[in-house]
Amino acid sequence: MFTAAEAVTRGRELAATLGGRCVVAVMGHGVEAHAQSLSALGVHVLQVESPHLQEFTPDGYAMAVKSLLPAVDPRVVLVGQTASGIDLAPRLAAELGGPAVGGCSDLEIEGDLLVLTRRILNDKVETRLELRTDKPAVITFRPGSWKPAGPAPGGSVQRVDAAIDAARLRRKFIAFEAPQVQDIDIAQADIIVSAGRGIQKKENLRLVEEFAKMLGGVVGASRPLTDSDWLPKTRQVGQSGKTVRPKLYIACGISGAMQHVAGMKDAAFIVAINTDQTAPIFEVAHVGVIGDVLQVLPAVMKELKGG
Amino acid sequence: MDIVVCMKQIPNPDLQFQISADGKDIKREGLTWKTNSTDEFALEEAVRLKEKHKGKVTAITVGPPRTTQMLREAMAKGADEAVRIAYDEPAAVDPMQVGAMLAAAIAKIPHDLVLTGVQSDDYLYSETGGWIAAKLGHPIASVAMKLEVQGREAKVWRELEGGITEVCTVPLPAVVTVQYGMNTPRYAPLPAIMRAAKAPIKELQAKDLGAAGWNDFVTGHSIKVRDMSPPKAKGRAQMITGKTEEVAKAMARLLREKGFYRGG
Repeated sequence: MFTAAEAVTRGRELAATLGGRCVVAVMGHGVEAHAQSLSALGVHVLQVESPHLQEFTPDGYAMAVKSLLPAVDPRVVLVGQTASGIDLAPRLAAELGGPAVGGCSDLEIEGDLLVLTRRILNDKVETRLELRTDKPAVITFRPGSWKPAGPAPGGSVQRVDAAIDAARLRRKFIAFEAPQVQDIDIAQADIIVSAGRGIQKKENLRLVEEFAKMLGGVVGASRPLTDSDWLPKTRQVGQSGKTVRPKLYIACGISGAMQHVAGMKDAAFIVAINTDQTAPIFEVAHVGVIGDVLQVLPAVMKELKGG
Repeated sequence: MDIVVCMKQIPNPDLQFQISADGKDIKREGLTWKTNSTDEFALEEAVRLKEKHKGKVTAITVGPPRTTQMLREAMAKGADEAVRIAYDEPAAVDPMQVGAMLAAAIAKIPHDLVLTGVQSDDYLYSETGGWIAAKLGHPIASVAMKLEVQGREAKVWRELEGGITEVCTVPLPAVVTVQYGMNTPRYAPLPAIMRAAKAPIKELQAKDLGAAGWNDFVTGHSIKVRDMSPPKAKGRAQMITGKTEEVAKAMARLLREKGFYRGG
């Protein structure tokens, strides 16, 4: 829903420059309410229905989009770079006979060229790619690339019953599983002090814990730490973890990969401590501290205690 | 249970990168290389599946001769064979082309499963696995955190957003892309490293894949780099720099002023 609202923002702008239109396709079974809520953004929504679209599968969704052609003849198909978007994009592109380019943060249309902006190499380099094709281009974009569209008049919903060939659905959905861990919910905290790879050793977590305790906050983490089991998965902030909006977020030795930033960029006040002044975390932080977190944290705590 | 693992050697992403003189690539002199992390998890998963179900693991890559070092490491960690597709273009920015090359090579290797990392940490397209699946006509399940093979079916636990997991099955042969932290990759024992140092690595040219040249793997589109630059910052933090004591003083003052520290 959130990525869809972002895609509407950019899709509408691009459609306007081309003299075309921006259409949203919602796939599923009994998704009228979802289609209605998206049409409230002022766009035309195709509510693509089939019992075979009850749960997401790459085959099902690719066939569903294909079935919209040629009534809809897209130059660009925008897909959010989510777990399902990654699953879908190449499969869909193959179905449409066109290219797919993943992980874009913006796109422009210049004549017959698509110009795709992408961040690469740990977000330390920005590149623009020129994609030329006469087929629909499937572009996956990073969540957070554009401002989500707000409510606007003029939206509409059109129901389309998709003919899905069930014999071509190879993947079978079994179940969703939610994590069942007894832990605090960091999303409820006003103050979060998060640790990243910059703390270097598991033993150094106690510094972060001590600092969080001084501020009356809780400890969060970037993905590499929870993957290494230094902290439980419940503490992970980011796209595949928790999305948090505390009053204060302190990022300790976190470089700021998109995965992490997606989960904390909306915090009210962000302080980042990092040795690398080119680290992308400083783009979302309000205050950046250049230094080794292992030296800075003890010094700050000393200052706070002494003052 | 024969498994192909697609691996990529990437510039160490912890490095600082400079832009080349023509503005279309990074400077490649002095880079150090490592195996893409999620591909390490994919290899480990493949070797574990082999240990459980028997069969063969083949490690495959696309890249210049330096990548043979990565392939030897893969063999030391349990891959039985290694294949290098000798597309020596250092940048190789087209994931569809690379995916098509890998698919063409994998089509000639008997396999039940293709594993690869969910993304390469250099270009971050997250689509090579998807293109291999599309070209081979295999189903895909991406972002796997757990994988079990039962008969002719793979059961995959996919990591969705917000900590939710989707469990699904795909019939074999299938492609599964592997997420960070799926397992704990092993270290190679010394005798295996010694053995792998002498093991043969199969090298494939375009003609071995039934193509006249590497450009045959590009179809219906062209993709090229317009430019590269340091990221244009969307916003910028107010920076505190200086000696540790100075930045600590400034940060402590800030926390007090903002009311985030109410103690002593």
